[in-house]
Formats: sequence, C-alpha cells, structure tokens
Amino acid sequence: MTENHHFLVQQVGKGDKQALAALYRAYERPVYKFIVSRLNDPHEAADILHEVFMDIWRVAASFEGRSQVRTWIFGIAYRKVIDAHRKRSRVTVTDEVPETGDVAEAADAGYAAKQEAEHLRFCMGTLSDDHRSAISLAFYEDMTCAEIAEIAGVPEGTIKSRLHHAKKLLLHCLSGRIRGRAVA
Amino acid sequence: MTRSRDEMELDLAFLVNGTLSEAEMAEMEALLAEDDLLAAERDALATIRAEMQAEEIRTPGEFGLARLMRDVNRDAAAPAAAETKVVALRSRTWMWQAAAAVAVLALAVQAYLPTTGAPQGEGYVLAGASAPGALVVSFAPDTPELQIRDLLVGAELEIVSGPSALGLYRLDVLDGGDLDTATAALRAARTIVESVENAEN
Repeated sequence: MTENHHFLVQQVGKGDKQALAALYRAYERPVYKFIVSRLNDPHEAADILHEVFMDIWRVAASFEGRSQVRTWIFGIAYRKVIDAHRKRSRVTVTDEVPETGDVAEAADAGYAAKQEAEHLRFCMGTLSDDHRSAISLAFYEDMTCAEIAEIAGVPEGTIKSRLHHAKKLLLHCLSGRIRGRAVA
Repeated sequence: MTRSRDEMELDLAFLVNGTLSEAEMAEMEALLAEDDLLAAERDALATIRAEMQAEEIRTPGEFGLARLMRDVNRDAAAPAAAETKVVALRSRTWMWQAAAAVAVLALAVQAYLPTTGAPQGEGYVLAGASAPGALVVSFAPDTPELQIRDLLVGAELEIVSGPSALGLYRLDVLDGGDLDTATAALRAARTIVESVENAEN
C-alpha cells in the first residue's frame, strides 16, 4: 500500500492526473476528517482539502520519499489549517488544564454511553488547534507518536505533552457536561 | 530500562491506538493493573477513540474530485498555451475566460471574445461533441464548491460529465425537473456561472 502510494506520488510528479485522482480517492476521507476536526466548518474544510490536493499536484515532483506519503499529505493539510486559523485570527480557546474536575469521575460517569457523541464534539471544539490536531491524528488515524511529530514539525516529547493535556481537558470538559446533564 | 509512572502516562494515548511496541505495551499493562485511575483514563480514551472513528462524515467526494480536475487542467493549460504562443495572455484567469469563450463559440452559440487574438484549436480540447447533458456550463474560477452544489441542487441539475480540459461541465435536469427553469436559475447566478449554453449533440 505504502509503496503503491509512493508510486502514485511519483506519477503525479510527472503530470499523471489519473494518479492524482487515485491519491485523492485514497486520502480524501481521512484528510477531510482531519481538517474538519480542526475547523468545525465543513465548507471551509472542503476548500482546504481542495488546496491540499492542488499543492500535491504542484509539488509532487519534489517529493523525495524520505517520509511516508501519508505523513507528507497530512503535513500539508496540517499547515494549511494553521494558515486558515491565522487568516481568521482565531484565538486559542483553551490551553490550560483547570484545577477543578476529576478525571476518574469523567471516566466513571457513564461516558461510555453512546449518546455522548455530542458532548465529545463540543469538548473537542474547546481545545486549542495543537491539542485537537494531536488527538485527531492519534485517534482518527491511529498514528504513531513519531508520525504525528513529523507532521506537526515538533519533537515527540511535545506531542506526548500535547496529548496528555488534551486528554485532561477533554475528560474535564466531558465530566462537566455529563454532571450538568445529570443535574438538569 | 524502567520508566516512571509520569513518563509512562504520556504514552497512554498510544497504548489506546495500538502503536506502542510490544515491550512498551507490556510495561503499560503492568502499570495499569496497579493503577485504577490510569486504567479509568485508558478506558475513557478508548471510548473517545471508538466514538471518533465511528463518526459518520460526508466528504466532498466525486464533486470535490471534479473540482480538483478542473483546476488541475487549468493549471496544466497555462504553460501549454504559452508554448503554442497563440496569444499573449496576462493572467491565468483571463486565459481561462478566453478559452471558455472559444469553446462556447465552437458549440455554435453566442459568445464574446475580448481580443482579436483568441486561442484557437491547437493546445485546447473542446468538450466532446457527443457527450451527454442538456447544458454546457462553466463556473467562475475560485467559486467555492458549496455555492456550486447549492446552485445545482436548487435548480434540480446534476453534472453528467466534466470538467473538460477547458473546465466545462455538462449538466442534465433531474427527473421531474424543468430545463427552462434550471437554465434560468443558472443564468441568474451571474457571480457563479460564467457561461450557460444548450448542448448540441
């Protein structure tokens, strides 16, 4: 699979549009999901997805194969979303773990129930882009720490730290929402 | 090598997504067996991951691919046009509009060419003469996919082929739709649609 995608990128670099279409079909869904998870705007996400594949078309000839095709493509998407955030001048919503809240409570509070999807969406939306990216790549794509670090262009320790904080924030947020619903 | 609890806790997400090595996994499992809080966190993260992976999402799909091919063709057409030296064009957008106008002329309908040296034949591929579709349409460059989709859905139209090398799409009305009404809707959307013509197969 990886070798096949590498071959496709090489073909795209030679101007093969069918190879580009094949790459699009292989990566459209996961890359789009990743972008949406960071923007919460499906329409803007569709435009950014388009830009990602236009970039692939334009720069595929310079792909040297030192990274996996997947991390290369996600890296392009990662930077595109950062650009989009800069254009929006979007502020970071949450970066610090609140002092209150009990992780164990969140874990035990019936979170496993299926109806919590909406809570999860909400709480993901409260995370900073760095945190959300790390969670998305780890849980949507099941990427290794090294892969996520390569995409984000930071050391692995930074990714572990981001995931750790994102986990605390998510569980804290979920705990609060579940508690609120129970009270209501 | 034995790691501290804090160091190992940082790997919890990777235990959950199954990307740790066997040795790391075994080390983590041993810790979790003694640490109820960490085990609860592991279970919560596993639920979150399952929830995220189960999430249904509607992607741009084939429409997004058609849009990509349209713009790729536009990208590819720019240097080709320069090589043929048919006409000096000041910008890609301008060239695209001129080329689209030539294609419309080829369909024997009204067209407007802004210069006397419009591109002709060589270097361009016209929409297939026997292609399906009742209408031949070009969209304004950089129109978001959402706007195009909303327009087509509202006018009860579907793309049946395209984009061509010139970025032309052939459209048909959906069952129960009215061609005249749909054509009028397209012509009214002047900021999105650059040209609308009846196809002549």
